[in-house]
Amino acid sequence: MTATDWNALSTEDFRARLRRFLEQDYPEALRYPKRRQRWAEIRDWTRVLAAQGWLAPAWPVQHGGMGLAPDKLIAYFEEFERHGVARAPDQGVVMVGPLLIQHGSDAQRASYLPRILSCEHIWCQGYSEPNSGSDLASLRTEAVADGDDFVVNGQKIWTTLAQDATHIFLLVRTDKTAKKQEGISFLLADMKSPGITIRPIRNIAGGEDFCEVFFDNVRVPRSAIVGGLNEGWTIAKALLGFERIFLGSPKQSQYALGRVRAAAAKLGIADDPVFVDRCTRLELDVADLGTLYARFVEQVKRGEALGPDVSMLKIFATETYSKLADLLVEIAGASGAVPGDIEIDGARIDALTTFYNARPAPIYGGSNEIQRNILATSVLRLPSS
Amino acid sequence: MSETAAAVADEHRQQLELLRSSAASFAAKESPTSRARALRGKAPGFDLAFWSALAGQGWTGLLAPETAGGYGQGLAEMAEVAGALAAQAAPEPLLPVVAFAGRLLEGCGGSELARRLLAELAAGSSLPAVAWQEDATGEGAFGKNGELSDPATVCARGQGLLSLSGGKQHVRPGCAASGYIVTASSVDGLALVWLPASTPGLRCEPVTLADGTCSARLHLDRAGVAPEHLLASGKQAQQALARAHDEAVVLAAAELCALACCMVEMTLDYLRTRKQFGKAIGSFQSLQHRAVDMHIQQQLAAAVVAEALAALDAGADGTARALLAARAKARGSDAALTIAKESVQLHGAIGFTDEHDLGLYLQRALVLSAWLGNGAAQRRRYALLSRRAGEGAAA
Repeated sequence: MTATDWNALSTEDFRARLRRFLEQDYPEALRYPKRRQRWAEIRDWTRVLAAQGWLAPAWPVQHGGMGLAPDKLIAYFEEFERHGVARAPDQGVVMVGPLLIQHGSDAQRASYLPRILSCEHIWCQGYSEPNSGSDLASLRTEAVADGDDFVVNGQKIWTTLAQDATHIFLLVRTDKTAKKQEGISFLLADMKSPGITIRPIRNIAGGEDFCEVFFDNVRVPRSAIVGGLNEGWTIAKALLGFERIFLGSPKQSQYALGRVRAAAAKLGIADDPVFVDRCTRLELDVADLGTLYARFVEQVKRGEALGPDVSMLKIFATETYSKLADLLVEIAGASGAVPGDIEIDGARIDALTTFYNARPAPIYGGSNEIQRNILATSVLRLPSS
Repeated sequence: MSETAAAVADEHRQQLELLRSSAASFAAKESPTSRARALRGKAPGFDLAFWSALAGQGWTGLLAPETAGGYGQGLAEMAEVAGALAAQAAPEPLLPVVAFAGRLLEGCGGSELARRLLAELAAGSSLPAVAWQEDATGEGAFGKNGELSDPATVCARGQGLLSLSGGKQHVRPGCAASGYIVTASSVDGLALVWLPASTPGLRCEPVTLADGTCSARLHLDRAGVAPEHLLASGKQAQQALARAHDEAVVLAAAELCALACCMVEMTLDYLRTRKQFGKAIGSFQSLQHRAVDMHIQQQLAAAVVAEALAALDAGADGTARALLAARAKARGSDAALTIAKESVQLHGAIGFTDEHDLGLYLQRALVLSAWLGNGAAQRRRYALLSRRAGEGAAA
């Protein structure tokens, strides 16, 4: 089926088709996973999705995507979320594909796009460094030209699932003399290149979702630079487009609210006035978040670009989620320090997984403090500090 | 959304924008905040001549149907007008009279008197008020199930008259009302009875509110009126009151939202211009983040109010309507009060002075928050109603 056909379907028909497919082909055991799935766990499903031609909903048809219009794209994500589909390593689809389609060379597109669609290449993102987190533009991993290659030295950190990736896209410093934003380039590298070392970082939940990636005299061909030399910062900023809205989706909070309600019922406190007060407050936060989210979705559906004000969604979504996670631990009482499922009268609740999942949400994707800085200067027009 | 529906929605949006800008320029020209200041605390707390000017704009008849001489517009239109006047802290009781009493009268469809009163209200010649709450917090008006409870005020029949005894509180706009639509328990269930201000046995005791406007306590000692003054009873009365209540609640939320918007703008201006330590204080990160949190609350309130206005104008009914109204007012009240307090703090001492207009907004926000149930009351009501409606309605 071609993209014109997808977009010609009514949204209801399109949703029905997605639902049928997910009900038929998505593994029941992987619905609503509590934690981020590793590639080995999610690979089979991702290949089914790829074989169907549905891996890249937003890519244009001529590059192998579904070419969905904004309203269909939102329906696609909403149906996946509704079904509880696990997030596969999606940096290739979400970041590298759109990047190459817009800024890549023909050779880069021909080489990389088909391999993303076939799941042969799994990408990870090398942005943050130990001393360049919120102040990303101060990054120091450097690429020095040497013949037909660049030689890369430095270290990346918080690289999600680097141990599962075959390739990495990274920001590197190519001009140390320029203003910090103007000396950065965008580079693609094979993770098997000699000199790359990956060290998974164990997080407080016991998982190893993110890694350190070390570069020790790694040779990367000059042809692996995307866009022009020293244009990396502009390109990276442009990438923070449409998908930013999904960091503000109410789905996570809705799911956590469901966990809180179910746990309260099992714990026999559903009518306790203190609980009812706290839970209703959060229930209204979740409902109002849904309304605010819908307002931005409508904007996208009308084909308007999202402005910096979308940052407020990310702040409110992740902070609401955190409060729900805290409430879940609180009502679990003495059982609130038991990791994983807690047995209560034959029923199970899991307080700590949600608690741990909620911790990084206000940090990643630009910390909430950075989002507030952006809102203050770009939306409220307050003077920069 | 089909293309036609989208076009209709677009046209409606444009009409609302037109109304917003014309209401804003009228309010700024005819009702500067100095006018509001001068009226504070002096009975009746607003200006009857200005009320006539509002009638001249067609705004007292905005909601009333054309058969009552009105314009049959929706709550969204009413919200634009109320918001524009709120931005100038105008004290005229548009929502208590035009929205709450007006919609209540409209809900009493069958009554000849109700039709006449609504026409007079629309023309601006009569200011009816709703008298329905009886206890200090106002929460007694709803029972444990979230439904309207039976008033302690009774309406008895005798000697060819209706005779009402009991008491009412929180009646806006106070003793300047032309009369009162009083809720009472009768043999036919809930009764809505029209008591003109001059009814023997009715005594009105004014109460001055934080913003210098008035509410009233009514003392009813066998207040007697002709049987035709029974506007509605039983189920019709219940439904009319529930609907008018929910609509007034949403409009109060809309007005709170307009106040919040003014306070955020005012505070941002201050942060941009006030200099300390050699630079604008708005460049300090801790103040920026507080300003952002005010903005987020204001935007949330605006989004929820817009959704509630649209849903009620599209005919939302029953529990769904009540839940939306409670949500809108919970967010509107809490957002406006939080923003008001943060605005005072970010202004520093000047924000606590009577001379600064911020105080006008804060005091109006206090009144609107307390009226028809503050944030905590709305959340309690939401919890009761959503539990009763089951998981489905709450989702």
